[in-house]
Amino acid sequence: MVEITIRKRPRSEAVVTQRKFFKKTARGKVIKVLRERYLRDDVGCGIQSCQECTESCTPQANHLVMSGPDHGLFPDGHFLLPDTNVFLSQMDLLESPLFRPPIILLQTVIEEVRHRSLPLYNRLKALMAMDEKSIWVFYNEYRSETAVIREENETPNDRNDRGIRKAAAWYTTHLNTNVRGKAPKKPPTIVLLTEDAANRQKAEKDGLVTLSVRKYVEAMNDASQLLDLLASESEEIEPTRAASGKQFLYDEYLPSATLIGGVKAGQLHQGHFNANQYNYLEGSVSVPAFSKPVLLIGRENMNRATNGDIVVVEVFPEDEWKAPADEVVDQDSTLKNDDVESGDEDDGEDLVARVESKVVEYEKRDAEKQPTGKVVGVIKRLWRPYVCHIDSTSLTSSNATSLSVQTVFATPVSRLLPRIRMRTRQAPSLIGQKILVSIDRWDVTSRYPEGHFVRALGKVESKEAEQESLLLEFDVPYRPFGKAILDCLPKEGEQWVVPQKSDASPEWRDRQDLRDLNICSIDPPGCQDIDDALHARLLPNGNIEAGVHIADVSHFVHADTPMDNEAASRGTTVYLVDKRIDMLPALLGTNLCSLRPFVERLAFSAIWEMTPDADIVNVRFTKSVIASKAAFTYEEAQIRKDDANQKDALTEGIRLLNTIAIKLKAKRMAAGALNLASPEVKIHLDSSESSDPIDVEQKEMRETNSLVEEFMLLANISVAQKIQETFPQTAVLRRHMPPPKTNFEKLQDILMKRKGLALDVSSSGALAASLDKCLDPTEPAFNTLVRIMATRCMLSAEYFCSGSVARDTFGHYGLASPIYTHFTSPIRRYADVLAHRQLSAAIGYSPLHPSLHSKPHVERILGVVNKRHRMAQMAGRASVEFYVGLALKGREERVQKSGAGAVTEEAFVIRTFRNGLGVFVSSLGIEGLVMFKKDLQFDAENYTLSIPKPGSADLVAISVFDKVTVRIEVEKDKNTQRGRVKMTLLSPVDSKDM
Amino acid sequence: MASSSISKAESAYIEVGLSEQPPQRLDGRALTDYRAMSLETGTAPLANGSARLTIGRNPHDGSGGTEILAATKLEVETNEDGGSDQGRVVCSVTCSPAAYPHLSSNALEDLQHDLTTVIHTTLSHPSLHPDNLKIIPGKKSWLLSLDLVILSDAGNIYDALFMAARAALWDTKVPRTRFIEYKAKKGGPASGGKGRDGMDVDETATSGFDTRKTNHATDFELLDYWDEGEVLDGRERWPLCVTFNLVPKTHFLDATQVEEAVAVLKVLFIFASSSVQGMRMLGPGEVTSAQIKSLLKEAETHSRNISSALDSKLKDEDVRRNQKASEAFSQQRR
Repeated sequence: MVEITIRKRPRSEAVVTQRKFFKKTARGKVIKVLRERYLRDDVGCGIQSCQECTESCTPQANHLVMSGPDHGLFPDGHFLLPDTNVFLSQMDLLESPLFRPPIILLQTVIEEVRHRSLPLYNRLKALMAMDEKSIWVFYNEYRSETAVIREENETPNDRNDRGIRKAAAWYTTHLNTNVRGKAPKKPPTIVLLTEDAANRQKAEKDGLVTLSVRKYVEAMNDASQLLDLLASESEEIEPTRAASGKQFLYDEYLPSATLIGGVKAGQLHQGHFNANQYNYLEGSVSVPAFSKPVLLIGRENMNRATNGDIVVVEVFPEDEWKAPADEVVDQDSTLKNDDVESGDEDDGEDLVARVESKVVEYEKRDAEKQPTGKVVGVIKRLWRPYVCHIDSTSLTSSNATSLSVQTVFATPVSRLLPRIRMRTRQAPSLIGQKILVSIDRWDVTSRYPEGHFVRALGKVESKEAEQESLLLEFDVPYRPFGKAILDCLPKEGEQWVVPQKSDASPEWRDRQDLRDLNICSIDPPGCQDIDDALHARLLPNGNIEAGVHIADVSHFVHADTPMDNEAASRGTTVYLVDKRIDMLPALLGTNLCSLRPFVERLAFSAIWEMTPDADIVNVRFTKSVIASKAAFTYEEAQIRKDDANQKDALTEGIRLLNTIAIKLKAKRMAAGALNLASPEVKIHLDSSESSDPIDVEQKEMRETNSLVEEFMLLANISVAQKIQETFPQTAVLRRHMPPPKTNFEKLQDILMKRKGLALDVSSSGALAASLDKCLDPTEPAFNTLVRIMATRCMLSAEYFCSGSVARDTFGHYGLASPIYTHFTSPIRRYADVLAHRQLSAAIGYSPLHPSLHSKPHVERILGVVNKRHRMAQMAGRASVEFYVGLALKGREERVQKSGAGAVTEEAFVIRTFRNGLGVFVSSLGIEGLVMFKKDLQFDAENYTLSIPKPGSADLVAISVFDKVTVRIEVEKDKNTQRGRVKMTLLSPVDSKDM
Repeated sequence: MASSSISKAESAYIEVGLSEQPPQRLDGRALTDYRAMSLETGTAPLANGSARLTIGRNPHDGSGGTEILAATKLEVETNEDGGSDQGRVVCSVTCSPAAYPHLSSNALEDLQHDLTTVIHTTLSHPSLHPDNLKIIPGKKSWLLSLDLVILSDAGNIYDALFMAARAALWDTKVPRTRFIEYKAKKGGPASGGKGRDGMDVDETATSGFDTRKTNHATDFELLDYWDEGEVLDGRERWPLCVTFNLVPKTHFLDATQVEEAVAVLKVLFIFASSSVQGMRMLGPGEVTSAQIKSLLKEAETHSRNISSALDSKLKDEDVRRNQKASEAFSQQRR
């Protein structure tokens, strides 16, 4: 037994053992907190071969092996002892697999990191858990030799620095006495790594070995790769350049306490910064105080905010309010000539300023004025690694073997972000690659944010690089499932089957045997994760029994297991055109839970009894065992239903389902449900292996699509009612808030002016009715177009916890249902899994896990799921866009081969700018911009742009909703290799040379 | 305090002893001698200031004597909740039932109330109000609650209470705050919050003509969450009490509990520095104004003595708790 010594001190030594500090609570109270600390002499140093600490109390102690002789400065081996600022600024370096010297992590450092930045603290925790890193946590505050107390008038920072130095000094003497190198060798060195020059000076005075991170890395053997990972640190890199010589491009941010004070007093406003994708010099912030978002015009007013940041804005007096620009301003073309190095001096500066100031000038249109302001502070940065391309024109030397440091521009793939300036040694080799860049800082003296290279993803347009960049860009977790998660799967693996029916079997407890029913599933072609199956039959009393059977995922995924936690953090399965990123391991998703035909599967069934008019008589929910009789595609099911010769029970079932579905839909529409539209296209892939897209076509909607949809809606609504009744505080529901009327103002105006049509947005029913009247007899696609535009005006649906919002906001606007949830796809959506657990508890099948009784817990999970859901949708859309681009390229090549010139498509004008048109190509489902080099005659009130006909003085007017023909080309940006779809007008006017 | 009941014989014995020439007291003290006192500050680490005071405790076994525990606590108070711009001081006295085993709970409450009234009316008097209890003018301020607990009573409770209160208030540290405001300035970046350091609010810089000036500060922040803060303003002003116990023909100081039973009248003189802050007469006896005049003069001398003794002890305590303790710590580490 190891002897444990704990020494309690008398109160007379309170000043040493007690740590007192004040805390201000959110409610403005000040609390005094007292911490007692016990010092001990047996906190192990963690170094292997240390004679003194081998016997120490930590069981897995002493694993830290000194580094080999591979570092130039320390041939006798060394240990790194990093200061807090190393973790705060150089986390990317420490996370790199190439960086693996033994690290001594002090408790003081961990606590300081946690205090300064929670995300970095989480990364640090992950770092500590990594197997390939050798890190020893030393509890210096608890070891009697290394504990420090704050001295009079010492700042917390100084105290921590002193503590770190003291620990380094202790380690040095500790190694000298206890760890002997082999005979002639010296003991290994303790290297205090810090970016703080003052701290280094003090440490040197104390006789410690200390280095800056840059100096340390430079002396490493594989320095060049690691140097790029270093965050740019202005003082360290360019100590010669005087700060006073720099021109201040931006205003300093206000201190954060002032911001909070201003927001509380209502003089400042807080919100998310949204960059404008058409105009890089404009952004907006939605704040609760104004119905319209606050407009930020120009670089100075956007003041270094990047998309998604939580910022605080000051609103100008009303006479300075402006209207948003009606012009497309493209960063790439406007800033073509900006020199990378010109952050400080240069005349390139003036040029940029002049170009931009011209762009920022606005004519004042009173009608569309909205609150205008400027960013005065950033509450929270949303910086993450961004996928970028290197701008080849910003390279000073394109010699591929040159290893000199160059400053280059990295252009993010997303149009919402500014260019990032970074320094790298590998610039030439990174051209034509997709790379990951993270932003370090954005100084008031620098026009662009400064960042550093994280890693390369691969060649531009290679599938792997594009796919990974997509997943990274939308923050989709795509790592393979870990062992702990896979251990949660049934041991039988693929061989798992529903056991023989018996009373003793736990699987069969309280389960209904529905194996005899004629159940089938209807899904898109190639669907592997079959969530749902259906059946319907006539009852002897003339009523109809219809059943929806959902995969019983909650039987396999139990609450609070590693698999459950992973699924909760993934939130949803993400579908890309050629890849699916599963929420649950494939064994469950595509096999054990998937309701495949001809095998017995566990299910959760909702069974209704309905009158022939589709009025619900009653509904019951039960766990069941089913055996699906067939898995149809929508098309197969449709053919089978329409084929009058087929008279078997399965087909009759489908027909019965269909008749009810039609009645259900009619009822829903009568209640005011919206028939919305979004551009959906289907990508034809050559074969499943090569995944080269051949062509694009619009998705076809069949009767059977609607059949399945109706029953899923019905099941979701019934389940929502049930779980809300049983768990009024924590039921997992989904709602769609009615959109604010102002969202529709512009669309209403356009419709009225262009087509003389009125849109009634007073309720979803009124909107549905007036959308039905939006017809253009000459243009059948017009209605769909309006529907798409109306959809864009709406809010997005969200999951919520029933106890968190008022009862009267539960409604689903689009479906015109007072209550709704998601129940029918538990394999691919996590919210459904929660709904399953709650329903299961509601019918008394299983007790509810305590976490689902806790409102904050449910709210937190649903917050994650909502975010993931949004991201997954955007990732899916971006994936389609990428493949449309590829398909277009393929088509372009074929067309060119056949000598026809170029790909042309019909398109609708959906937006007009002073120098361009926004068009929508419905056959491809893409939006594009037609840009003109010069300003044209533009009538903003009537959304009309007048274009001169080449060779004549006549003007052709083009307005919103007009049908035009566009020429579509895929061109690569010469500098950044960024592929983009370029459209030019073909008719009524050829705009090729304009 | 007329608390313990003693027999007539006993009472007569004490009274005769006191009026002897030279006077004789039970414990051999002269009439103006105090019993031994002990004082320790910082006894309650979670309080903003605290002290423990004993009078007449047996130095060998630590038994007997009057024992008071005093602690101050600062709370943030908004004006809507009844705070005022200058902050407030609220005092309360609690009697431990163990200190008065013979009193019923109702009597104990009455006693507490009496004591609280004397202490509170004296200490919360505007003339003594510390200047640095403000946080945000017009919005928030500190509420200083001083709680005194009588752990045991062996006489002379008023003097003890005032001394303990003074020690705790001396020890009190007010966390340094800075208020946060937002002022929009035309044409330039908005100015940040203006720091405020205790009392020296610089008023001369702003124009006296500007009558519209309102304060926009909405909230405050702590300057340094590790720092205990600054001492209470005017901490050397807090008053002390000298209690004269009057028996026919003579008077004496620092009565024990039995001696109190003999005294017909108690006269309390409360001095802040050298000015009279309060005076009270307790008991059925009578006193002439000429008598009071001479008592007052005498009381002032005593009060000055006690005050200087207390001050030097309090300074000793500060040194003991900070400097000496850290020295001892670093010595041990060597």
